[in-house]
Amino acid sequence: MKNYATKWILQRLTAVILIPLTFWFVYQCVLLSSYGYDEIRAFFFSKLNSLLYFVLTIAMLYHAKLGCETIVEDYVTSHNLKKFTKLSISVLIYIFIFLTTISLIFIASS
Amino acid sequence: MKLNRPLSPHLSIHKKVLTAVFSIFHRFTGIGLSIGGILLSIWIVLIALGPDYYSKFEALSSLIVFKVFLFLWTLAIFYHLFNGIRYLFWSYGKMMELSTVYKSAYAVIVLSILSTLIVWISI
Repeated sequence: MKNYATKWILQRLTAVILIPLTFWFVYQCVLLSSYGYDEIRAFFFSKLNSLLYFVLTIAMLYHAKLGCETIVEDYVTSHNLKKFTKLSISVLIYIFIFLTTISLIFIASS
Repeated sequence: MKLNRPLSPHLSIHKKVLTAVFSIFHRFTGIGLSIGGILLSIWIVLIALGPDYYSKFEALSSLIVFKVFLFLWTLAIFYHLFNGIRYLFWSYGKMMELSTVYKSAYAVIVLSILSTLIVWISI
């Protein structure tokens, strides 16, 4: 893993971003739990809600990527398996970052 | 030679001290929450795809198993969040006196359980 310092800082930066957003989202989930499809869709018509959800999921997925990579670094002993696992994590995370982004753009524009 | 070199941390050979248990649990919940992050991503994709796809999620969410899963998810979120705040302080060398380390650990447990209960009572 290169740039350990950058990853160390990014892990903490995303953590700090996630603290208020997690409280916000859990609170919204309590409200949304009784909502149907139309009401949830209406929730995402709000540009602010869409933006906050976007920042939350992207920060969460990136934080998850960095965290899982650290765990793999510590416990996977085989060099090739370590490389493969880290690559798989990255690919998976970037696919879901992409899917989340286009979904939110689609919801906001429809 | 390089491949067989032992790596730290050696979980099985150490006495299970409180800080170690909290650290292991932080990583354990972290892996769970990573899967949760992907589920949040799938959730928004289903919303974008429309009511027909979203109804599949709604059918799943009415199951008791799903509620139990959500409850554990809530607990994992708050544990990881409060314990994470503790680690953020440690990153700056703060709150690292042994007595503070133990007190903050107990605070993490109390806050996690309390927050989870508040959420589930409110629903």
